[in-house]
Amino acid sequence: MSAAAPSPASDRFDALGDPFDALGDPHRRFIVELLRSGGRSVRQIADELPISRPAVSRHLRLLKDAGLVVEEARGTQRIYRLHNEGVAAVQAYLLQVWGDAAARMRLFAENTEPSKDAQ
Amino acid sequence: MTEPLRIAFDVDCPPEHAFRVWTAKASSWWPADHTVSGEKDLEVVVEGRVGGRIFERTAAGSTHEWGEVTAWDPPRRLGYLWYLRRDRADATEVEITFLDQDGATRVEIEHRGWERLGARGPDWREANTAGWQGLLPHFVAACATEGDPDE
Repeated sequence: MSAAAPSPASDRFDALGDPFDALGDPHRRFIVELLRSGGRSVRQIADELPISRPAVSRHLRLLKDAGLVVEEARGTQRIYRLHNEGVAAVQAYLLQVWGDAAARMRLFAENTEPSKDAQ
Repeated sequence: MTEPLRIAFDVDCPPEHAFRVWTAKASSWWPADHTVSGEKDLEVVVEGRVGGRIFERTAAGSTHEWGEVTAWDPPRRLGYLWYLRRDRADATEVEITFLDQDGATRVEIEHRGWERLGARGPDWREANTAGWQGLLPHFVAACATEGDPDE
């Protein structure tokens, strides 16, 4: 996957990678879910997954490039945790798109005669 | 009890071929991500008998054990204990059924025994759901391309 340049269609994101690409993998979604409860080291994350350590490191790098997690040093360990701004950007995008769609649906519903069969 | 994980899908080859791809030809499609070492040129060995081992052997010759065959009934049924990246004491059970459907195969997988892991069971089941999702497309692709179905 290319993370060389920001996608032109998503200028609201500062990260290099596309967060939706990053979330399009079941292991990476699992890592994100795992980090809900707080930061963890690579080892702690790898222990929870049925895949190899190099694979876990690759997934973490991708999540980091997409702005969804951040890495910080704690003593000799590297700790990964969710990156609030990256997650907020995903949330804002979904809310905006679905918010617009929901508003249109409401408008449509309010201007449509209810069917006799409907409750 | 934690519900078994159940997955079913179709592959475009007879059960004989699907069974062989899963076992004898595992090295040809098993992704390096789903191993202990993560190395590229490793061999995946499924010893074809009850009590046979399932393991990876790296190019340098080191081995990591993943499981033990508990049911060997080619080409219909395969069962094994599974402890990839886990202690053997934390093994779960996988049972795979290959059903003939006019030359194609319905593959049914049941992955169970999560309760053995106690409180960690549900999370490990969740992680393995992701694991299967990552693994199975490689198997499906290999069934379509690996060798001659009539060999």
